Amino acid sequence: MSEKNQNVGVYICYCGGNISDHVDVEEVRNRVEKMPGVAVARTEMFMCSDPGQEMIIEDLKSGKIDRVVVASCAPSLHETTFRDAIKRAGSNPFIYEHANIREQVSWVHHGDTATDKASVLIASATAKAKLLKPLEPIRVEAKKHTTIIGGGVAGIKTALDIAQKGIEVTLIEKSPVLGGQLNNLDRLAPFGEKASDILQELLDQILNHKGITIHTDCKIEDVTGYVGNFSLDIVTKPDNNNINKKITIDTGAIVMATGSVSYIPFDGEYGFGRHKEVITLKDLIHILKENKSSGTALEVNGKRIKNMVMIHCVGSRQIPGIHHPKENGQLNEYCSRTCCAAMLNASNQIRANFPETGIYEMYRDIRTYGRGQEELYNQASKNKVVFMRYDADAQPEITLGSSSDYPLLVKIKDSLTFNEQMEVPADLVVLATGIEPDDVSDLASMMKLPIGTDKFLLEVHPKLRPVEFPITGVFLAGTCQAPMDVGEACNAAGAAAVKASALLSKGYIELDPFVAQVDMDKCQGHGACVEACLKEGALELTEVNIEGKIHKKARVTAAMCLGCGACAAVCPEKAIDINGWALKQYEDMVDAIVSDGFAA
Amino acid sequence: MSLVNLDFAEELKEYSGDTALECFNCGTCAAICPLVNDNFPRRMIRYIQVGAREKILENSDELWRCLHCGLCTHTCPREADPGEIILGLKRFVLANWRKS
Repeated sequence: MSEKNQNVGVYICYCGGNISDHVDVEEVRNRVEKMPGVAVARTEMFMCSDPGQEMIIEDLKSGKIDRVVVASCAPSLHETTFRDAIKRAGSNPFIYEHANIREQVSWVHHGDTATDKASVLIASATAKAKLLKPLEPIRVEAKKHTTIIGGGVAGIKTALDIAQKGIEVTLIEKSPVLGGQLNNLDRLAPFGEKASDILQELLDQILNHKGITIHTDCKIEDVTGYVGNFSLDIVTKPDNNNINKKITIDTGAIVMATGSVSYIPFDGEYGFGRHKEVITLKDLIHILKENKSSGTALEVNGKRIKNMVMIHCVGSRQIPGIHHPKENGQLNEYCSRTCCAAMLNASNQIRANFPETGIYEMYRDIRTYGRGQEELYNQASKNKVVFMRYDADAQPEITLGSSSDYPLLVKIKDSLTFNEQMEVPADLVVLATGIEPDDVSDLASMMKLPIGTDKFLLEVHPKLRPVEFPITGVFLAGTCQAPMDVGEACNAAGAAAVKASALLSKGYIELDPFVAQVDMDKCQGHGACVEACLKEGALELTEVNIEGKIHKKARVTAAMCLGCGACAAVCPEKAIDINGWALKQYEDMVDAIVSDGFAA
Repeated sequence: MSLVNLDFAEELKEYSGDTALECFNCGTCAAICPLVNDNFPRRMIRYIQVGAREKILENSDELWRCLHCGLCTHTCPREADPGEIILGLKRFVLANWRKS
């Protein structure tokens, strides 16, 4: 394909003033029209509108143009819009290039400089467009099978939702039982369902589902492959005959639902570990769950509790310089979100069933953010729970009390009592320990999954792509991502299930074709590209028989290639290049930018 | 520093209604009160809530500045009835004055 014959159509958008208030769009059009290779140059109030798209389609259909450049907003917004328009015109969608003259021009420059920069960016895009080749999306066969890692509520719900779509599921759980943290909970905030009832309902469904295979008590040894074709090696715990079973699972997609653990206070944090009367919220929930007796006061270890103090935000919302970091320097600066409602829920249960047990809740902020949660706070107020508020830099102190009735004394500077120092006698102190992600750093590094500074697994985008990893075909759900309550974990599970099902539904997956391609004639088999490659398995040296002689040649596994170009940068023969982003295209873009003619 | 008296609510029942725990510390009563005293009557109600019995006795002179105009009770969004609480506290203070 000779580049001289390329007819580029350039379409410049006003963006209803967003661009045209600062860029003289008609002047840009006049300049662009004269650029080499440009067949037509047009403007429109909104290029993304139907008339704008029709204009492009018509020019393509009439044969006036065979390459398209749209100069408008950021490509993240409308690149696919225009690629789709080109498809509708019956052309290959990869003959398209985008020039961002809004975010990169009109929103940051004004007057002549804006007009000049817009002209230069379009000149550069046009230079690149002339070298664009029609490309085909990479088609990868995909196994209709999903593997869920983690058998808590998020994992179980994801498994059920995917299996319902007729896709086979394998659920892997490291502990001997399914259910995760649901096993540790009692009545769930804010509506009071029994965690055990919910778990039983889910177990009944999952254990009877023919499309779901469950492996408990096992460990993941290795994860390899790519979207549609992952492979997991797992090992089960030794059985009665001391034999570990090794199992390989071939799967099309993976969902991380590795969950969380409850924060464990350090020795001495609010007297934890030093006074037996100081327990965690998890302990209290366990006590409430096991408590079968009804009486006028809650009994803990055979002792009637007359006054309990509940301290919020333990192990959450930690502040550098104030809180005590862990040995590895980690501070949990996030809010664990679930503890406020869980504490109030427990308080209400206690006050309703054991009226002679008084409760003081000491908080920094009450964050009853969700449906039905503020009602828990109102209920607690009605139940005569006393609220006291402390500042982060003046945490309550737990000391030994002077009376045998109340072994502990909690000192607090209460900002609701005008910052006066108060001393509250207590025979039980409950710490609202927050949520920490389960440590899956080994697995994450094996699978190259990103982890945030808060140690939770990190999605691609918190709002627009909340259940996906940057590794195509790997998803996440539940509290491995962020603190969530059971309902929220199920929401995330449903979303991840839909994403995984949609990905695998066709039996094949189409990927962007912007990957490395080897010129077999030029390749001398140096192997520099293989060394430079960032993605294990994407590039390898293979032996090829050419006319009876064995030659070493680089081979790309397109489905794994990240399209980063590290290989193209190191090849001494220039025998490897990236489709859609070739070196020559970059050179022409740079030439267009530095040439004098286009700006003014 | 004041030690919370956990039995105070019980003790106070003899002198006053138990609406103090309805209060959620909004401060409307203190804002509407024609007296210029700092946080009156809100502070007194808070003392009842937490059980700061001694603080009430220490600051009892404040109670006798109250004009019983009823504005606080009229504006209270929680129907905690601050005016009635102040009357109750007066009865409590009279009964316990200089006893300890």
